Amino acid sequence: MKKVILLFALVLLVIAPFFGQIDLPLSSLLEPDNMEHKVFFDIRLPRVLLAFFVGGILALGGLIFQTVFRNPMSTPFTLGVASGATLFTAIAIVLGFSALSPLFAFGGAMMTVIILFIVASRFNAYDSTSLLLVGIALSFFYAAALMVMFYISSLQESYEIMRFTMGSLDIVGFENIIILTFASAFLLTVILRYRYELKLLLTSYEFAYLKGIDVKKTNYILLFAVSVAVGVAVSFTGPIGFVGLIIPHILKNIYKQSADKLIFPIFFYGGVFLVTSDLIARNLGTASDIPIGVLTSFLGAPFFIYLLIKGRK
Amino acid sequence: MPINITDYTNNILKNISFSLEYGEDLIILGANGVGKTTLAKVLCGIFPSEAVRIDSITPSKVYGETRARLINYIPAKLDVFDEFITVREFLELGLIRGVAREQHPTTVDDVLQMLSIKHLADKACKLLSSGESQLLLIASALLHDAKYTIFDEPTANLDPKKMQILFNILKYDTLLQSKLIITHNLDLAYKLGFNILFLEDGSIKFHGSNADFFKQTHLDTIYDGSVEKYQNNIVVKL
Repeated sequence: MKKVILLFALVLLVIAPFFGQIDLPLSSLLEPDNMEHKVFFDIRLPRVLLAFFVGGILALGGLIFQTVFRNPMSTPFTLGVASGATLFTAIAIVLGFSALSPLFAFGGAMMTVIILFIVASRFNAYDSTSLLLVGIALSFFYAAALMVMFYISSLQESYEIMRFTMGSLDIVGFENIIILTFASAFLLTVILRYRYELKLLLTSYEFAYLKGIDVKKTNYILLFAVSVAVGVAVSFTGPIGFVGLIIPHILKNIYKQSADKLIFPIFFYGGVFLVTSDLIARNLGTASDIPIGVLTSFLGAPFFIYLLIKGRK
Repeated sequence: MPINITDYTNNILKNISFSLEYGEDLIILGANGVGKTTLAKVLCGIFPSEAVRIDSITPSKVYGETRARLINYIPAKLDVFDEFITVREFLELGLIRGVAREQHPTTVDDVLQMLSIKHLADKACKLLSSGESQLLLIASALLHDAKYTIFDEPTANLDPKKMQILFNILKYDTLLQSKLIITHNLDLAYKLGFNILFLEDGSIKFHGSNADFFKQTHLDTIYDGSVEKYQNNIVVKL
């Protein structure tokens, strides 16, 4: 079963860049000057890589958030990181700095993280619920501020903001991919370095504490690493929902192993899920691509509910 | 390296001071809600307090192996978040940083054998019964090998046979170093023969020898005649 899925995933990854609005015959790729070559290397391939890394970051972020908050409903967006990015993107658009919106988005995500950590320093080590509530309160605050941005923006600006909130994988060239590769590597390195601590956190805070773990520090390092990586991802693509929620759950149900053993599978299949969603979004034959965030939720929600029902039997 | 708590007060406990020499064992008794579990969590540093010193170290101020070697707390209930962590994996985590000391050659398989739960090794912790969970916690205490181990109601869910196994471990086994045992089982407390610390209204009402505590006249004053010694057993009158 696992091998069949892996084979299927690998095939999907390889064929993904070849499908889209224009057919790309294999032979055309070898000639650097023709248009197909450009489409493949400047648009399709970066897009597949973007989808893969963003999917991986979001899925792994979901796993970490669910572990730290001991709450299966947490996602990397639960603490308001995505809302912060969205608000700052809206601000960039309204102020006429659309071109700089990824920088603004990253700034918004990081500002959220900093606010959270300042607030969190006042809580005790075991009080992750309060941190969660602060994150939710921040999200509401940002949502209200976003409404203000919509209110004062022109029709064109409103459309741009709206489009960002739906998520998009439009990208040209490899510069951004390099940044995302670093973000992914950073996240994976931190998580692997804290793998033992992570496993202890999968039992209970008290148990982890009694084995000598600095629970608060560990939690914050993990949350910080996820938030930075997710901040980078969201600044390029906008908030893409559901990946961080469903991929860890699906993988746990397939592998039936403790979460610390699923770090790579969750990253990999999170990436595959987003590549697949994008592949479908690009090939439905509609006049313009369906926003990726819409598709992940359309695909993810029914499948997730199906798995929950199946898992309970 | 004694464990010391000096004049500790919070919203439940009042002016708690006592010390326990390394190598000695202690039984902590008291009514429901009197603060026994709170005291345990204060001693091991889950509720941090500078009033606690073990070998002049405050557990909540140190990290890593240093703290883990000082004191361990075994809660009344097993708490595992992950659905798929197995009994064996949990026990491997029971070893500090996954390594057994040379002086303490007990392995995961040894403790599974000792507590006759070998058949559960590959079962997910989440699927254990309350009695099995309790045995798993005790097994992890044996592997952890702290200087002081606090057991919070270790017998609450055990069947009679398992109770005997646990009694023998607590009384005779040398794997555990100093033990502090919170219990409501007076007969167990009596048979173990360790010194007694009795809490009432958040304060220490008695701290002394087992023999003094279990004198009938003393039992009468403490339990208002609801407990008696009968043929060398402590029985609750029902």
